[in-house]
Amino acid sequence: MATTVNAHMPGLVARVLVNEGDQVTQGQTVVVINCMKNELQVVSANDGKVQNVLVKEWDEVEIGSPLIVLE
Amino acid sequence: MFIIKNPGIETLVEDWPGRLGYLGKGMSTAGGMDNLALRFANLLVGNPLGEACLEVAGGYLEGEFGVDTVISITGTDISPSINGQPVPMWKSCRVQKGDILKLSHFGEYGFRAYIGFAGGIDVPLYLGSKSTCLFGSYGGFDGRKLKQGDVLALGGAPQNLTSLEGRGLKDGVMPVYEREWHLRAIPGPNASPEYITEKGMDYLFSQPLRIQHSSNRSAYRLEEIKSGFFAREDGGVGGSHPSNIVDHAYAMPGALNICGNTPVLLTADGPTLGGYMCALSVIKADMWKIGQGTPSRDYIRFVSCTREEALQARLEQKKILTEDSLS
Repeated sequence: MATTVNAHMPGLVARVLVNEGDQVTQGQTVVVINCMKNELQVVSANDGKVQNVLVKEWDEVEIGSPLIVLE
Repeated sequence: MFIIKNPGIETLVEDWPGRLGYLGKGMSTAGGMDNLALRFANLLVGNPLGEACLEVAGGYLEGEFGVDTVISITGTDISPSINGQPVPMWKSCRVQKGDILKLSHFGEYGFRAYIGFAGGIDVPLYLGSKSTCLFGSYGGFDGRKLKQGDVLALGGAPQNLTSLEGRGLKDGVMPVYEREWHLRAIPGPNASPEYITEKGMDYLFSQPLRIQHSSNRSAYRLEEIKSGFFAREDGGVGGSHPSNIVDHAYAMPGALNICGNTPVLLTADGPTLGGYMCALSVIKADMWKIGQGTPSRDYIRFVSCTREEALQARLEQKKILTEDSLS
């Protein structure tokens, strides 16, 4: 079953740290969001393989926006 | 005491009205970004209105109480829970030693929440205030935002906690939260015709301006102005861009800097002087709304106002911050 890693704050995507096909582990930082001039790490809540990367640098995201799809 | 298990995005000790009297030395006031929610949080737990609270921007704070006390949570609806059970916002509630307070993220409206503790927060006064100036790294708790493992000393709570629990606000007292925040403002000191065209001023006072993602306690950055805004080709001796002027003092907090083509509303931790024009000043009674403006989501609309209206608004706000507002 696919799960998504979602933005926990609004802001701009500063960096995407994974690529499609990468294996990620629970607690791993997958995306960094820039908000309030702070870099905020978005971590994966689960282990999984990256099926889709839905965002790129400079994209603006809202809280809850899906960023990464994990298999 | 209150033990920080997860500090969340940005949790700070802030009081009100902050650190007064040092603008001339380059020190901004700091203090609660939403001073109204902060003062209501104190009112609900029986504190002096300006006592220090925790200001939670964004959310995700988790902490453990080391004492029995009474707390209140105001501001954005941040879905607070004690030991996993939801607790209401804008109402004081009793907590016991060992209880775990957990906050979710900011709600549909607003961005910051305030936690008031009966007896307040026991951090040292620095130059007359308990407020954290985040960008100056002074005041509050070691001059910084809270981090995991911090132990926050609380002030001595009153003997009779029972009399403080269950206090709420009467209908119609709670501030109304929006996605488009209307801020009353007085034009100037750098306005039309010398600095900005009439068309430019009309633009500032007629458009909802989106809050940029980079907005924080120093300043709220708004979407860029349009062409035809400036009345001058350049800043003369102040600089090459028409937004440049010779350095001057800013009316802090609440001045709207025009920084290049970006309107920047200067707030609690902002600069006290600089070389950008200031097109308007937000009235003190409406400054609380900026603290609830959500980056990358909400809008600000400036509404022209007179000095007399500004003074009246401040008086009216003062009237609701009394025990008469409690239910």
